[in-house]
Amino acid sequence: MRVSVARVRFHPALARVQHITPRARYATTAPTPAEDYDIVIVGGGPAGLALAGALASSPAVYATSRIALVEAGSLDKVREWTMGEGEFSNRVSSITNVSREFLHGFGAWDYLDQTRTMPVEEIQAWDGLSSARITFNTSDIPSSSPARSPHLRPSQIATMVENLNIQRALLRTLEDKPDVNLLDNVKVLSITRNSADETDDYPHLTLSDGRTLRARLLIGADGPSSPVRAYTQISSYGWAYPTHAVVGTLFHRPHPLGLPNATAFQRFLPTGPIAFLPLSPTAASLVWSTRPELAAAMKQLDSAALARYVNAAFRLPWLSLNYLNTVLLESYASGTPLTASQAEEEISFRQQAHSIDASSALSSLQTTIGVPAEGSDSFPPLIHSLQRGTIASFPLRLTHADSYLGSSSQGRGRTALVGDAAHTCHPLAGQGLNMGLADVCELVRCLDAGAQHGSDLGTQVVLQPYARNRYAANHSMLSVTDKLHKLYALQSWPAVWARSTGLEVVNELLALKGAIMLGGGAAREEPNAGKAAMRFAADAVEVGASTLYGAKALLSGLGSIAGTVVGKAVGSLITNAGKQ
Amino acid sequence: MLSVIPRQLGYSTRLFRHFATNAESLASPTVDPIEIEHFSKLSAQWWDEHGELKMLHRMNPPRVAWLKEKIAELRDLEGEPSSPSWKALGGLRILDIGCGGGLLSESLARLGASVTGVDAAASNIAIARIHQSHDHSLNNLVYRHAAVETLAVEGQQYDAVCAMEVLEHVDEPKNFLKSCAEVIKPGGHLFLSTISRTPFAHLLTIAIAENTLHLVSPGTHNYDKFIRPSELIKFFKDLGWLTGTYEDRPNAQEAEVRGIMYFPGNGDWQLSNRGSSWGEQCNYLFWARKPKTP
Repeated sequence: MRVSVARVRFHPALARVQHITPRARYATTAPTPAEDYDIVIVGGGPAGLALAGALASSPAVYATSRIALVEAGSLDKVREWTMGEGEFSNRVSSITNVSREFLHGFGAWDYLDQTRTMPVEEIQAWDGLSSARITFNTSDIPSSSPARSPHLRPSQIATMVENLNIQRALLRTLEDKPDVNLLDNVKVLSITRNSADETDDYPHLTLSDGRTLRARLLIGADGPSSPVRAYTQISSYGWAYPTHAVVGTLFHRPHPLGLPNATAFQRFLPTGPIAFLPLSPTAASLVWSTRPELAAAMKQLDSAALARYVNAAFRLPWLSLNYLNTVLLESYASGTPLTASQAEEEISFRQQAHSIDASSALSSLQTTIGVPAEGSDSFPPLIHSLQRGTIASFPLRLTHADSYLGSSSQGRGRTALVGDAAHTCHPLAGQGLNMGLADVCELVRCLDAGAQHGSDLGTQVVLQPYARNRYAANHSMLSVTDKLHKLYALQSWPAVWARSTGLEVVNELLALKGAIMLGGGAAREEPNAGKAAMRFAADAVEVGASTLYGAKALLSGLGSIAGTVVGKAVGSLITNAGKQ
Repeated sequence: MLSVIPRQLGYSTRLFRHFATNAESLASPTVDPIEIEHFSKLSAQWWDEHGELKMLHRMNPPRVAWLKEKIAELRDLEGEPSSPSWKALGGLRILDIGCGGGLLSESLARLGASVTGVDAAASNIAIARIHQSHDHSLNNLVYRHAAVETLAVEGQQYDAVCAMEVLEHVDEPKNFLKSCAEVIKPGGHLFLSTISRTPFAHLLTIAIAENTLHLVSPGTHNYDKFIRPSELIKFFKDLGWLTGTYEDRPNAQEAEVRGIMYFPGNGDWQLSNRGSSWGEQCNYLFWARKPKTP
């Protein structure tokens, strides 16, 4: 999501700009009359636009409320967004079936360019050290779950969609809803209370075009550094991971047997997970979480050299990958980035050290087209290049606002936070946007009920169920992704021991499965969530029997050392799902 | 369970009687600014959802939903066109007696009704007007410092009259109900909520809420003023509302009594089912309809 609003009121540098702007100076002496809105959404990213679209589709809210959405960037650019066939934006989301149903429910899904979406039918995740692997598909989704729907292909567990494709579809949904005022290319300069009248508890937004909006309800869909959150004075809890995510669009050859590219792959490396998310028969999206210095070095590589590193990262043993990382950092430090042929030479050398044959599935090197090697379906296709201009990186953070609603007793009522403004998480479970859409879905349900009761939509009576129903669900998802990430970063001997026995790996992969399958609101109105959770437990035994000493060892392992950490996370996920 | 209006913010308290004389002129520009400040603070109290009136704020959605439901039911019964749910009260003239800070009046106005809110305490009217002035959606709402008896003398007529959490504070309930009945149009609705005179209600509202937990100031309730649903039904039978046989609509000549109970766990009020016995034990809602023909 784009961070869309300048924080003038809170940022000294921008406050200076306000002083020298004649309009702003004028505004301090003779304020323009405020325009009344019932709902003001700040932020035109996927969550903000989905909120506008879903509110417009609630007859009760749409008929009774004046709605505005304020976005600092240009929405026309999103409306007119196009890309060449076979090329893809680097910001891609894995949309769960529950999120998809939500978007379908108010017509947005039909406006997507379907040729640019890719159904995912299987996810393979494995451990970078032990190679313990877990595969999941629709058999893991209970038949009664809202994640199973008649609109979906029966084998589909998620859909890969570019964020811009979603945003453009949402804007098209809003085209025949003229009463939702989309105010773009406008920054929020400040958010204040009416200083002249303390009984007026409505937030007032001063915009960069000189207008003032007075909001019955102000919703921050304005991203991780949310200015609306700053106004609400809600503190947030969290930390930065020592990790950046490198993203880019990967190109590969079509499957030699013409099979669709419907499997997502994720390998957990000690530096962070690397994910291959299919977009077309010849393209996929990369999300590679790694240490910041490695991310910086990777961004300096040319497309062909980085492609070789990506291939190796899915295949080579960790020992050799660690060595390749050192080579990468050294070349980066010397100012002469590694070339593709140097990378290939290093990889080839390491493969020989591990006796990996150039024609085996474990080989990271391109061979001539022919019959695919045995076991090659356990790895993503070999990447030959990355799309120009798509390689980027961003830091990863975990944050969770202490509350989703501003406190009316502290004079910061009539405010709510959704999506990244309320929480950010590690992308390893692909749940960021799904959590945001689940927030939006619940908030719209509450506002619709409020409009039916003739309630003031800015009040706690209306908004409290939103916070109550989303906070715990988001919190358990954040915990699972956080604990998964941290477990891989642990270097202490008990953790390494637990990892080397494989016990921990099973726990982690199960927690991941839980996060992806039950996440993003998938457990909503899910009477059999408890059963689904039990099935995960049964899978533990299955995986355990094949990779460990048997079920008994696994069960005792669940209580051991580091195992308790993720065990608790899974436990809370299961308990939480059971409650709902 | 207990009265949701603390004494100092209530319908007819000594505090507000004290202010009542000057407050009537609040709307005029000559009013004393100190008084405006005073009422502003009280207004903040009335509308503080975490404050003393928290339970009343929580009670509003279920009672509005019930009121809408009864009106829609009767429209349906008599073959009148239905309105969309968010304008369910469109075209109706509604009187809200004992409107306090305007909690119910505002909701009814947003649902399309033309609402008159009246309260015996002028300060409540001042509070309600201040709050209304901030809300651009409330053009079809007026407040008056008046008693229902005054409106009856004026000959005002309404499609529906609400007196929520009022009856248990009134000195002459029969006269009060007669005046309510007078200002209802033939075929119009009366909505009441109050507390029944049962040992259970005594325990909850006086022994526990007032004297033990001090949720409500001691002395707020007078047990002898509590009225049982059966007494209300008898009153309206005597008035001829519940015995008349107009248009063979059995549903429209029966009163409805629904218990309403607060569940502290999720902070919600819930209505009992029709005819359920716990409904009559403490807080309850009462609906009756005035016959179309006398």
